[in-house]
Amino acid sequence: MEMDSHSIATTLQVLRDPAGIPAHPVVFQFLMVLTWVSHILFVNITLGSAGIALYGFSKRDNPFWQRLSIGMTKAAKVSVSMLIVLGVAPLLFTQVIYDPLWYVSNILSASWAIGFIFTLILGYSAWFIFYYKNKPNAGGGVVWWGYFGLAMLLLDGFIMHVLSYQSLLPEQWMDWYAPNGQVDMSGSALHAWQLSRFLFFMAMSVTVVGIFLQAYAHYYKVREDYSLEYSLFVKGVGDKVALVGIILQILTFTWWILDMPHDMLTWLNPMTWLLFAFMVGFAAMLFYGKGDTKTGYKTLMMAIIMGLLIAIFREVLRVQYMLPFDYTIMDYKVMEDIPSTILFFLTLLGVGGLVGGFFLTALYKAGRTKGMYTASLQVAKLADSAVAVMIAWIAVFFLVGIWTWLRHAL
Amino acid sequence: MLETLGLYPSWYVPVIGSAWVMGIIGTIHVLSSHTSVGASWLFALLETKAVRENKPELMEYIKKYGVFLLVFSYIIGSITGPGIWYAITVASPKGVGGLIHNFVWVWAAEWVYFTVEVIGVYALVYLIGKVDPKTHLKLTWVFALASWATMLLIVGILSFMMWPGNDSWYQTGSTMDAFFNLNFFAHLGLRTAFMFAIAGAVGGILASTMKNEAVRIEITRFLSKMGLAGVFLGMIMWMWYIQTLPENAKIIMQTQLPGYIAPTLFAVLGATILYFALTAWKPLYLKQSFAWAMTAVIAIAGLWPEERSRESIRKPYVAGQYVYSNQLISRDVPGKQIESNLPMVAQKGILATHPFVPEELKNYTDANRLQAGEFVAKAMCANCHSMEDTGLRPMVKKLHGSTDVAQIKAYLGGALYHGLVPYMPRIPLPEHEQQLVAEYLASLSKENTQTASTKFGSDYIVAKGEQ
Repeated sequence: MEMDSHSIATTLQVLRDPAGIPAHPVVFQFLMVLTWVSHILFVNITLGSAGIALYGFSKRDNPFWQRLSIGMTKAAKVSVSMLIVLGVAPLLFTQVIYDPLWYVSNILSASWAIGFIFTLILGYSAWFIFYYKNKPNAGGGVVWWGYFGLAMLLLDGFIMHVLSYQSLLPEQWMDWYAPNGQVDMSGSALHAWQLSRFLFFMAMSVTVVGIFLQAYAHYYKVREDYSLEYSLFVKGVGDKVALVGIILQILTFTWWILDMPHDMLTWLNPMTWLLFAFMVGFAAMLFYGKGDTKTGYKTLMMAIIMGLLIAIFREVLRVQYMLPFDYTIMDYKVMEDIPSTILFFLTLLGVGGLVGGFFLTALYKAGRTKGMYTASLQVAKLADSAVAVMIAWIAVFFLVGIWTWLRHAL
Repeated sequence: MLETLGLYPSWYVPVIGSAWVMGIIGTIHVLSSHTSVGASWLFALLETKAVRENKPELMEYIKKYGVFLLVFSYIIGSITGPGIWYAITVASPKGVGGLIHNFVWVWAAEWVYFTVEVIGVYALVYLIGKVDPKTHLKLTWVFALASWATMLLIVGILSFMMWPGNDSWYQTGSTMDAFFNLNFFAHLGLRTAFMFAIAGAVGGILASTMKNEAVRIEITRFLSKMGLAGVFLGMIMWMWYIQTLPENAKIIMQTQLPGYIAPTLFAVLGATILYFALTAWKPLYLKQSFAWAMTAVIAIAGLWPEERSRESIRKPYVAGQYVYSNQLISRDVPGKQIESNLPMVAQKGILATHPFVPEELKNYTDANRLQAGEFVAKAMCANCHSMEDTGLRPMVKKLHGSTDVAQIKAYLGGALYHGLVPYMPRIPLPEHEQQLVAEYLASLSKENTQTASTKFGSDYIVAKGEQ
């Protein structure tokens, strides 16, 4: 029993939160797209480095593979933390401008949305155990922790894919919620997925981890305890993996476009061609750059740009999916709230910039130094600024808070 | 005016209800997140001592606790954080939507802190001994302040869930008025106190494994003092907190909470004070199993009832005393141009206005009127009541097993229609839907009675057969 477009349009309108949004919708759309890029890149690094870690473990008779397996196990562990925390922002902004789509999709598969949390905990914990056990003399059985961890992470990726995809198909929601008129409130089913789209993101993990390996080799080049041979080995693996990945991406992307509803004419969209051309260009760059040890972080920049183009493409698709239902974020009720808007942007610049900058600089510098790193004058100043900005932030928070609270309480 | 209400589909969890799913994830998150914030302050204080008194051996403990936190707080805590969002999304979409649309920038600012916090914890743990001590100390203090900032930001939102405390926000719609509500500072004090106590208890799990006896004694005493300070501060803050609660919360606390909750919480409080006093007096008595046990007691017998009570006393609202737990908007909020849903419910009912009612139920017949009643009952009541005979505030028990449709209908059309029960939402169903819901609720007790008699019958037969 499908709903007609008019009913769906009305439903989507009334499901929007009546409080409206505190800034222009484009601001949230921009932030959603931008923050999703960092999230998906860490998803890719996690899945890719976990795959390399497990493959390396199977070839650990070779000391380079063994070392790489251990390194990638650690990289995947850290990367999961990052993908989770970086996933919070796009999740938040999605809920701001696409709340009806996201909430309905989640409720219709609620048991899976909740299962996502527990399987992620299980998967991450299993990977942590693999991390502790993946040592040079580890027995072969420990790899099962890794396989289980990766399997759970892949399942979670699939659940997220389904929740996103279902949100684009409001015309089918009633069929899923009340098949043949019988209401099913169990949320126990995953209702729709698009394999081509899911596999595209899996292929992207192959590319991104290849690029990550190239950057990894470049980063450790200056460390005395990392031999040149090992760096070249890692770079070589990265070259091959990235090339295979981008080819897989081009193939799955083509499948995805062919898999799209015909009336959306996705293959005529300029964004489709821009992304396609970029990936072909990137493939050529990777092919001709094989073995070139001077590339540094150039390919990493290309991967970030690719992530950004994919994020925009994904949003273009969503806008197109919603066109028949007259759902556009541009008519979301705006109830401007300047103080809280300032709070966010100042926090992003001040705390994100100085505190985040200090932490990352300290990690970067210390990571490239054998033994103890003593802060340079600049890094020491950055550290002082980070302390100062935190004290200032908390002081302003309490001053505003006490003033507002007293105004209400007295 | 649109003739459709902004109601989402329902997710029904038999017996425990979606509220318990939310509560379980919430409790796990509170335990791990408060431990993490409390531990960040412990690290900053201990490291200051280590640098000032030239005691690098204390850093070994910080490293140990930090690695432990990476698993305990930064796996479980960081996953259950978004996990709460997922849980409230599927259990109470209108509630979370209301919070997000009021506080999106606050949450976004908190996300900035989450991100630097996750980078910070790795930096803190892995850079011990790899950067100069002075720089590391600055890093640890920045990390502690940033961690606490995440608490500062979330507490305003949690407090608003209880109530704004006055009329300002309803009139202005300003995020600051909502955030710095009457409940805010007392709630912040309570959680800050708790973070010291729980970090002290969890810290014992690692302190008890320290090989150097002098260091072990010093750290255990430090933890005990911090824990005791947290407990006593918490008691003062609790007294203040109670004064900042709305009337409905006070009534629920006095009349509706299970009887075991208050004595259990007092017992946990007493046990925690004794635990910290003992470990301060005889630090070497502290064994790892003892610290684990204390942590488990605080989590299971302290935190779970406390979180459950906090969820319960907010009823019938989930946010700002304007969103009911059944998704209905209960009042006008002029500052946000929000209008109450209740007039439309009274005029047209749920079946005609809920966007997710199948046609078969919109035009119900004698054959499926029970299903129509079930739909309305679950949409309006299942967020707080189990439709089974056990579990979360079971409807059958609340109605004392009544199978009298007229009697149930009288309640639906009387106290519930007019919102006369302080801890229940006002649900002004039109007469025909009162009838449908009453028939359905009566059928639950009938089923129950039949099941009981059938069960009794079969038990009887088995018993006879055995003789």
